[in-house]
Amino acid sequence: MKIIVAIKQVPVRDSNLRIDASGHWIDEDDLSYEINEPDAYALEEALQLKEKHGGEVVALLAGPERGSQTIREALAKGADRAIHIECDDLASLDTLGIANRLAAAIKDEKADLILTGLQSDDLGLGQTGVVLAELLGIPHATIIMQVEAASGSIKVKRELEDGWFQHVEMPLPALLTIQSGISKLRYATLMGIKKAKTKEVRRVSAGDLPQAAAATVTIERVYLPEKKKETQLIDGSPKEAAAKLVEKLKFEVRVI
Amino acid sequence: MNTATPAHALAVTLHYAEPPSFSIWEMVLLALLIVLSLVGFFARFDRVLRNIFTARKDPDFHIAPVGRRIWDFFWEVLCQAKVIKERPLPGLAHAFVFWGFLAFALVSLNHFASGFGLGFLDSDGPIGSLIDGFYFWFAAVFALLVAVSIAGLFVRRFFVRPIWLGKKVSYESGVIAFLIFALMVTYLAAFTIPSTSPMARGLWWAHALCILIFLPLIPHTKHLHLVLSPITIFLSRGEFSHIPPLEGDEDFGLVTGKDVTQLVALQAYSCVECGRCSEHCPATNTGKVLNPKEIILGVRGYLNDLGPRSEEPLLGKYNSQEAAFQCTTCGSCEYQCPVGIEHLPIIIGLRRGAVNTGAWEDDHGTKLFLALERNGNALGMSATERDKFIKKQELPIFDGSQEYCLWLGCMGAYDPQGREIIASFAKVMNYLGTSFGVLKKEKCTGDPVRRLGNDLVFQQLAEQNLEIMKQQKVTKIVTICPHCVRTIAKDWKDYGASPEVEHHSEFMARYQDKLPKTNGPEIVYHDPCYLGRYRGSYDQPREVLARSGKVIDPPRARERSFCCGAGGGLAFLGEESGERISHVRAKELAATGASIVGAACPFCNTMFRDALAATSDAPPQLLDIAQITAQSIANATTTPSNGAQNA
Repeated sequence: MKIIVAIKQVPVRDSNLRIDASGHWIDEDDLSYEINEPDAYALEEALQLKEKHGGEVVALLAGPERGSQTIREALAKGADRAIHIECDDLASLDTLGIANRLAAAIKDEKADLILTGLQSDDLGLGQTGVVLAELLGIPHATIIMQVEAASGSIKVKRELEDGWFQHVEMPLPALLTIQSGISKLRYATLMGIKKAKTKEVRRVSAGDLPQAAAATVTIERVYLPEKKKETQLIDGSPKEAAAKLVEKLKFEVRVI
Repeated sequence: MNTATPAHALAVTLHYAEPPSFSIWEMVLLALLIVLSLVGFFARFDRVLRNIFTARKDPDFHIAPVGRRIWDFFWEVLCQAKVIKERPLPGLAHAFVFWGFLAFALVSLNHFASGFGLGFLDSDGPIGSLIDGFYFWFAAVFALLVAVSIAGLFVRRFFVRPIWLGKKVSYESGVIAFLIFALMVTYLAAFTIPSTSPMARGLWWAHALCILIFLPLIPHTKHLHLVLSPITIFLSRGEFSHIPPLEGDEDFGLVTGKDVTQLVALQAYSCVECGRCSEHCPATNTGKVLNPKEIILGVRGYLNDLGPRSEEPLLGKYNSQEAAFQCTTCGSCEYQCPVGIEHLPIIIGLRRGAVNTGAWEDDHGTKLFLALERNGNALGMSATERDKFIKKQELPIFDGSQEYCLWLGCMGAYDPQGREIIASFAKVMNYLGTSFGVLKKEKCTGDPVRRLGNDLVFQQLAEQNLEIMKQQKVTKIVTICPHCVRTIAKDWKDYGASPEVEHHSEFMARYQDKLPKTNGPEIVYHDPCYLGRYRGSYDQPREVLARSGKVIDPPRARERSFCCGAGGGLAFLGEESGERISHVRAKELAATGASIVGAACPFCNTMFRDALAATSDAPPQLLDIAQITAQSIANATTTPSNGAQNA
């Protein structure tokens, strides 16, 4: 089974984020980057499927040069090779633009299964995988908790709202977006890193790929959450005040 | 046979009786037996030597400093200092046997020489004539001591049977003990008869046979240590728990026989199976699989069966992975070993082999590795939590103008108890007027991954930290954590020059005269492994504590301190099997009756916090030496206004 895992590099959690001069994106100087967390689980799922059924795992990443670090880690954990779409303009693309590039870079790969994380930790749109599936003309399923492969088809478990799950059987090739935290991640090893050095990374320049139409969605403004504190004093007798408080907690704040 | 001892026969008339001459047939027989014995010895010893010499070369071995090696050889081999110090009675008995062997070397040589008519020690011989047979008397004194000692050791091994010698009685040891005893008796008996007596010939042959039977037994048994351990001690790495650098792209630690180095092989063959390592091992003592002696014998077994070129994994049939990961790296085994075996590089080497290749699968371990990769601290907390703590405590930020960089470490930055220690130590530094600052950013030093054998994460952390050191121009570090001290001082060096580093106990001890002196309560001090055995700082923390109270030692103290159970990354590996190491130690500390347990390591602190509460109804108070000192300072600075608070 040939599995492609689309991974994204995002700023590490707890980064001290600043808005850049344009106000359209964050200031990337001094930031450290790591693999997008749901993508780490997508990679883990791919590696486990390979261990069970054999085949090949190809890591796919679009991003600037710093992305090669994340690619190296994916190779160290066990991916067999990688495709790096080199581009510095990710922030200016919309989902369709990014998916277009990913699709163009892998259209000749004829993968049986494409995995992505459910969403990215930076933009959190949750659409890239779905749009990619549409562009490739293959079925997809989202928020996947579990994958079981049979010959020519897979059975997957989707997470629904409120503790409900959906079990779906679908044909291959297919695309799945993987939920975070569904398995135990493996740790990268020294041996893996050393082996990664000899693994193939196909570099694709974004300029060589068909240009997507102008972005239909653009970022107007990026800003840090404003901190504000609102204090309300509830007057009345203790009984009345308590009743008002319960009402507010129930319907305004919605915590009870 | 007449076994009368010469104690009361030391009359001038007696001398060592040897047959006056040997027939040609006797000489032929003797030559034949000597050849047979030597062939027997080398047949087996040759394989041992080949296994040692064909093993991989140690990448970082240097013969320098020779002075240190000569001293170790003199002190540990010739003086038998370690053997005696750690087990005085059997140690002394062993020392007498050893010294007896040295004294007997000349006698034995003379013995065989005289069999060919070439004796040189008797009064007619070239040397003997100068000293008038004196040497025989000299050796006789040793013979007596050896005979008594070996008999004592025999009784110890076969009747007293200390458990550390192993459950299985070693009969070969009995045979060897008998041979040594017989060797001495046949020698001493020769003083009681005239040379012309036919007994002299009998005794002579008996003595010769003892040696000739003994020789081929040596390489078959743990008595190989006779030959190898002096070399092992001379060639040992010398640094405590020295972890050798990995060499090239194919070196991941001790994975297969091909990774076993010459030093490891030499040490494995030197083990005398005395069990000192097991006796002091916290894992062995609390019912875990790990027994350091078995690790060494496992490596030896592997080499005997498969040799040093084998690609079979070292962990498996011969050594268990579970055992390797139960080691707290407390280093008692390495400290105790009388034959120069360095257990920690071997145990950590096995872990490196397992972790660097991904063979070790452990949920807690993986969680720790990922936390260190992602968050840069072992507790997996967000770095903003550290920022908040620094802000709340109003700790100055290091900007290069201060004398010291106060290294917080993971425990100091994130653990509630560790934070209290930092806050207290900051007060002490302020009181002493020392300028210091804390780093804006700090990653775990990498101690837990270094000891667990994850070289990838360790390298990342060491390099990131060294980069911060360079940027911030840090030259002097002081920290509350002995693990950080060790890792910064020694382990970072593989990746660049690291700044000077000091433990807060050492820092405070230098200023002890400036600290208030009060007659406080009894404080029982627990030596942290990484401050004591790893660094030799035993007195400094005691001196600091002595300013605030009466320091008492638990039964196992200083070099023999018993681990808290946290080291070697084990603090992060979840529940232990068997009894908890921390409970055993906490009970021991509480049993001293002291009202305060003085700790000097935030890991010991966190282990004992739970263990003392779990094992005692009214546990003693647990405080770091910085907290105790800060309290004394607070008391001293308030007393002038309100009288005698500190009685």
